[in-house]
Amino acid sequence: MYCKKECIAMLLAGGQGSRLYALTSKTAKPAVNYGGKYRIIDFPLSNCINSGIDTVGVLTQYQPLALNDYIGKGAAWDLDRIRGGLTVLPPYQNGKNADWYKGTANAIYQNIDFIKKYDPDYVLILSGDHIYKMDYSKMLAFHKEKKAACTVATITVPIEEASRFGICNTREDGSIYEFEEKPKEPKNDQASMGIYVFSTNVLLEYLEIDENDPKSSKDFGKNVIPNLLRSGERLFAYPFTGYWKDVGTIGSLWEANMDLLAEKPELDLRQRFFRIYSRNSARSPQFIGKTASIQSSMISEGCSIYGTVKHSVISGGSVIGQGAEICNSVIMDDVVVEPGAKVYYSIVDSETVIRSGVTVGDPNAGKNRITVIAKGSDVTENVEGTVETK
Amino acid sequence: MSTTGFIFSNLNSNTLSLLTSDRTVAAIPFACRYRLVDFALSNMVNSDITDINIIANYNFRSLVNHIGSGKDWDLARRSGGIKILSPGQEARQADGMVYSYRLEALRSIRDRILELTSDTVVLTDSDHLCNIDLGDVIDFHRANEAEVTFVTVQSKMGELTRIPQTAIQADAKGRVTDIVKSTGFDPDHPLRSIRLFVLSTDFLVRSLDEAVARNYHSFTDDIIMHSPEKRRFFSYCFNDVVIPVTSFLEYYQANMLLTKDASVRNAILGKWERPIYTRVHNSPPTVYRDGCSVSDALIADGCVIEGKVENSVLFRGVKVSRGATVKNSILFGGTYVGAGSSLNCIVSDKNVVISDDQTLSGAETAPFYIAKNKRI
Repeated sequence: MYCKKECIAMLLAGGQGSRLYALTSKTAKPAVNYGGKYRIIDFPLSNCINSGIDTVGVLTQYQPLALNDYIGKGAAWDLDRIRGGLTVLPPYQNGKNADWYKGTANAIYQNIDFIKKYDPDYVLILSGDHIYKMDYSKMLAFHKEKKAACTVATITVPIEEASRFGICNTREDGSIYEFEEKPKEPKNDQASMGIYVFSTNVLLEYLEIDENDPKSSKDFGKNVIPNLLRSGERLFAYPFTGYWKDVGTIGSLWEANMDLLAEKPELDLRQRFFRIYSRNSARSPQFIGKTASIQSSMISEGCSIYGTVKHSVISGGSVIGQGAEICNSVIMDDVVVEPGAKVYYSIVDSETVIRSGVTVGDPNAGKNRITVIAKGSDVTENVEGTVETK
Repeated sequence: MSTTGFIFSNLNSNTLSLLTSDRTVAAIPFACRYRLVDFALSNMVNSDITDINIIANYNFRSLVNHIGSGKDWDLARRSGGIKILSPGQEARQADGMVYSYRLEALRSIRDRILELTSDTVVLTDSDHLCNIDLGDVIDFHRANEAEVTFVTVQSKMGELTRIPQTAIQADAKGRVTDIVKSTGFDPDHPLRSIRLFVLSTDFLVRSLDEAVARNYHSFTDDIIMHSPEKRRFFSYCFNDVVIPVTSFLEYYQANMLLTKDASVRNAILGKWERPIYTRVHNSPPTVYRDGCSVSDALIADGCVIEGKVENSVLFRGVKVSRGATVKNSILFGGTYVGAGSSLNCIVSDKNVVISDDQTLSGAETAPFYIAKNKRI
């Protein structure tokens, strides 16, 4: 069947996200709850469909159950298509070998047949770790205009944090002459967002080279991109301006949620022309009772609120009892906070019960001391700090 | 043994005239995120009835838009699924009007009914809201080898209705012994039909043949009220919450009841094993800003609340600006309430804009209706 596409996306969604601790002990990071009704993966998938990319391979590996269950066949993002659409690509057996994905580059290498099926001119490599809205079609147009072999999306980061990222050192015309993965002394503040557009022939050639290099750790940032540079290929940096948040740590995930509560949030979820789609479940409307008091918060469908909610994000189906108090916190799906319980500076994962009279977190904790309650916990005594799954 | 569902989308639309000027009864928005038809559809889907026909007659554009492929009710199926049956030529009456009776509607789709392989059919209007396990009704129907099973409620003393309702008398086993029409409480006929019926397919086909032969028009008047004691008619008395929405006032009161009464809310919307499905809109969660005050309100996603909301039902994308007060009101999708405005007992249709510092008030017995897209 004829399935030629100009550009397809490969979404790397297999990462563990170990710095999210209890939140990812049973769930892959892209399936982590965000913003009341979203999962992190909603952002790259919605970006794809909003950018006119209708063929997406989602590479899964770590704890894929919740993720597979969530993405299904892609209907929520209009990606259930006859030609193209969404395909989940787990690691597989192959003749004598059965290999896990050994790195980002190896994961794509193992799915070259998927890419070849669509005979694309360009391949967009994405990761499922970031919260941002981006029109990839503009980046693709930039790539074509520069006649680049590979284009790397970059964003300005605070220089003191630059050593956590892959840093692109560029010439005046935007071409990259050096790529340093997590440099000790960064030369500038242009960080790679982990989003690459490759011309397909270049991608296939360098994946082959990388795969056959026994010393390589099979990673785009560490191996493939530097290799392209050494061979003198045309690499360009595509500067992105707009909201972008790496939600790889508890602190940054909490902060990304709090960002939505600003009077004019940088990430506008209300724009009608660039909607973020998500899997919706059949929940009833939210009910706000007589005893409730809500200030600068976001609340989702299916919630019943009888207590006090201040500067917090409450996800679908949660119940906040009378006299309970939620401040500066993120409450995920179907959580029950019993009457009189208090929650401060916390992220409470889904299906948790916080018993009457219990205090979770510290009202003076602040951003660097977020309490985390693992999924399905039954919290019967006061807790503070990171709480691991039992 | 299987069951096919038929939903009448637009019977009795004249009594809901304000809300049905450009939509069918089935497509009337209700309780923040639903349309009336969602209740009938979800009851069927939750009872494993997945071959469903909606019989439309006119004004059904918003209904078609709402249903789409039926995916949101899990009804986008290769086999069965949902179909909207638009009126065919045979639906035209001599005077050029489309049908207004249930039997006329059924006559117009006689071909489709003759093709049915299911042994029972469920017929329902969309103007009585309940969350009912139809499987129980169908089991009752089959166990009694009934021709028609009427789902009924006990009518209450002092109750009055504007249009005559079907009042039923039945024996201890539920066998119907008499049927009359009544506008109030009738102690001899204490059961009231909620216009939700299970029929044996065989009986439906025979009735249609008879209707053609004798030129019958009304299912109630011409078929079921003819010596019911000689037929195998049964009454299934449903002892849970049923909310009639047959007039504008009833519609208003039904929404208000949901904000006030937790038991009614749970009986209709809160049964986790039988959720009410509806079309999905991808609205972001609702934002509550500093200084807002909300009590006893049912609110959809996608709203922004800065002012005061009390005893009200807010649909998707409603904005209540700073200093505004909304009380005892129903605001449809996209309603904008300007700063300092005050609303009491208002029903605003879609995309109504109320500018700053307006005061609008209806009465609880006569809520004030603002038509779609109006600016005040």
